[in-house]
Amino acid sequence: MINRSVLLLLAAAVAVAVALTVVYRGARLLSAAPGAQKKVVVIFKTIDYASNPFWANVRDGVVSAGQDFGIAISIRGPALETDVQDQISIVDAAIQGNPDAMVLAAADYNLLVPAAKEAKRRGIPLVFIDSFISSDDGDVRIGTDSYEGGQKCAAALLRYVKPGDLVAIMSYVKGSSTAIDRESGVRDALDGKVKILETLYSNADADMAYSQAARLIARTPDLRGIVALNDPTARGAARALEESGKARSIALIGFDNSLLVLHYVERGIIRDTVVQKPFNMGYLGVEAARDLIEHRKLARFINTGSIDISVANMFQPENQKMLFPVSEGP
Amino acid sequence: MKIRRIQDTLIRAFAGLIVMALLLLGTLSYYYLHKILIQNAEATTMQLVSQLNRIIENYIHYMDDIALMAVTNDDVRTFIANPRADTPRLRSAIESTFESLRAVRRDIDSVFVITRDGRAIAATTGGALNPTVDLRKRFAELDAGAVPDRPSVSSAHVENLVDYRYPWVISLVRTLPAGPSGQSLGLIQVDLNYDIIAGLCKDIQLGKSGYVFILNRTGEIVYHPRQQLIYGNLKSEKIADILAQGGGNLKTSVDGREILYTAVSSRETGWEVVAVSYLDELFRASREAEYVFLMLSLLVLVGAVAAAMLISSNISRPIESLRRSMQAVESGNFDIDITVNARNEVYQLARDCDIAVKKVRDLIEQNRLEQELKRKLELRSLQAQINPHFLYNTLDSIIWMIELGEADRAIDMTSSLARFFRIGISRGEETISVRTEIEYVQTYLEIQKQRYKDKLSYEIAFSPDLHDLQILKLIIQPLVENAIYHGIKNLEGPGLIRITGEKDGESMVIRISDNGVGMSPDQLAALRDGLIEPRPSNGVGVRNVQERIHIYFGLQYGVSFESSPGAGTVATIRIPVIAGSPT
Repeated sequence: MINRSVLLLLAAAVAVAVALTVVYRGARLLSAAPGAQKKVVVIFKTIDYASNPFWANVRDGVVSAGQDFGIAISIRGPALETDVQDQISIVDAAIQGNPDAMVLAAADYNLLVPAAKEAKRRGIPLVFIDSFISSDDGDVRIGTDSYEGGQKCAAALLRYVKPGDLVAIMSYVKGSSTAIDRESGVRDALDGKVKILETLYSNADADMAYSQAARLIARTPDLRGIVALNDPTARGAARALEESGKARSIALIGFDNSLLVLHYVERGIIRDTVVQKPFNMGYLGVEAARDLIEHRKLARFINTGSIDISVANMFQPENQKMLFPVSEGP
Repeated sequence: MKIRRIQDTLIRAFAGLIVMALLLLGTLSYYYLHKILIQNAEATTMQLVSQLNRIIENYIHYMDDIALMAVTNDDVRTFIANPRADTPRLRSAIESTFESLRAVRRDIDSVFVITRDGRAIAATTGGALNPTVDLRKRFAELDAGAVPDRPSVSSAHVENLVDYRYPWVISLVRTLPAGPSGQSLGLIQVDLNYDIIAGLCKDIQLGKSGYVFILNRTGEIVYHPRQQLIYGNLKSEKIADILAQGGGNLKTSVDGREILYTAVSSRETGWEVVAVSYLDELFRASREAEYVFLMLSLLVLVGAVAAAMLISSNISRPIESLRRSMQAVESGNFDIDITVNARNEVYQLARDCDIAVKKVRDLIEQNRLEQELKRKLELRSLQAQINPHFLYNTLDSIIWMIELGEADRAIDMTSSLARFFRIGISRGEETISVRTEIEYVQTYLEIQKQRYKDKLSYEIAFSPDLHDLQILKLIIQPLVENAIYHGIKNLEGPGLIRITGEKDGESMVIRISDNGVGMSPDQLAALRDGLIEPRPSNGVGVRNVQERIHIYFGLQYGVSFESSPGAGTVATIRIPVIAGSPT
């Protein structure tokens, strides 16, 4: 008694039911059901947030993005920014965990290349933030345009020194991509305008920077300017400069914004500091990882930008939030 | 015409109806569900936000209480009004007053007293006043923003009055009443720990990723969980729209997501507490319901189709079986019982069909019987003609004539007999022309006349227009025979038989009258009965005539008798006029 049209109708109804179920379930899976939550591993240069407020700020951005996009975030990194070997083994271990994507701030421009290649070989989307590597194994690079940051330092310095004055550049980790780029930014902008001494490397250690700067100031009486290319280096140099009592004659330009650096800026020891936007770096890094997981097209490089901060603008409302973390006392 | 099966029609109708009903129901419930979800969200969020606003106002009230207390404190007034009274003793007295307040309330970060001439007292955590801050300038800035006798509340900001401390606070400032110079000489600043406000806002959960932020009167952000993103242009809020609306609910879309702003403004602080709910999260519950509804709909649809199939098969199966029965009847099989397995109109229809078929079957049977009877009667009428007595008598008469040497009469009689039989057997047709029937009767009477001589005479008078009409054959002669044997034969004296025929409308009336002995009423009654019931005493011929007329023409036609003793008998035959078609 059941003819063909009835069978067809029933078959269509069943097919529609199945299709709708599949679509619905699929949509639910995509809409970040707990079981389908994506895992992203984020590896910093260091997780010693107390001595590196920059990374604390990156972490805030990463955590915020994780909440906004419903992504499970795991943050790792070496205790010491200079411990490149430790970071390499952390990256290798993270790859073994087969995350949905990886966000990495490379501690070394060359030594992290094999680890990045391995991630790429495993098909893990790779986002670099802050510091990059010499090969193009990362999918996206997000960070301050370091060369541009260096140029801003130079521009600030040129407001305080006269042409032909003697200045010094204090860098931090030799071989780090950001250090290289910042320095060339400074050098290119100062070239032909002032005399530049040989670059010093503090290994991102405030104490080492202090002794290097103290020696430099003591031995170079006609020194008129110092560019310190990261936070610990700026702190060390500022301490040496304050103790030397020559803060009025030597203009110190810093980089990044720990509270100590800002305190030096407030007191005029550090004239200007070029600050990055670490929160945005962390946030955009995770957003890019999410986009890569969902196969969206992205630019190869995203510049998070930098700002020249001096005592004049440090308490302006739009800068306060970036410079002073909430409930972050001394 | 395209024949469509009942089943298809029903399934189409059912499925269509169900789909339409479900669509209507689905759309309506979707619409109302969303409306209710939004209304509920608006109501609950409004409640939450209002509550948060009251809590914040309470904090502000508390800060203002402290500021008021400080403004009316004699030590503070002395410190501000009289620089010469600014002694360490006075300072420590004031500090300890404030410190005791701060000790019980951790939410108060600091209390400052700042004078127009650049002196200050700080009751705070940590060190000395920040040497880089120009206190005269700071007083001037704060004094410019203050309203006499009213507290003024700042947005969240970093306070740098204390050396190497950068706490996030919300400041409430009250200036002292103006002195003789018309200017206020000092002010009280109470700093509320920003963490308190941030914590209150963070604690509010609005769906999965909803949040609360606070704006001040001019639209600057007092608190926002993603303030850095907003300053970095990675996120935006429709602040202008919120301020323009001045509280209440606002549905809009930001960064590609549908959101609901719920804002409450505070008269105390001028702040606007704004909740952000994401509609897609709000509707997550509705998606669950939509799914269940969809599945149920499909189930109902499948059920409806199944029901339609069942119902239609219940309807069409008996109809189908009835149709098959009728097809059998069409092909000639009447010997079936039409019954269907149903308890509805189809059953009645089948029963009516059954009755009709049975009637047809009975009619056919009756027809067959009648045909059979006709043949039998014809045979009998034939037999009647060959009445053996008539034949013997006639043959006896012929023998006598021959013996008496009356050869001519013998020849006449023999040829009459021959003609009589020739007509009687005549080709087996049912009807013959009236003319032939008359000839037949005449022949018979001529033969009888040979026997009865002068005792029998006859007259035949048919109107001429009857001669060419058709008549059922051999219906007059048996009545003539009857008249002779029962009327004339026993009559003393000559007998006359008169046969007339005439048209009476559509009927033909033939009368056979004799002047014989007649019949008593009993005899007449017996004869009339004999027309109905076969009776051996009666002439087989008369009854045969009656039956044949009834069969051919119906009961309204037939033979009737009228008679009384001594007055003769009249037999009347009434038959319809049959137009002449002498074949």
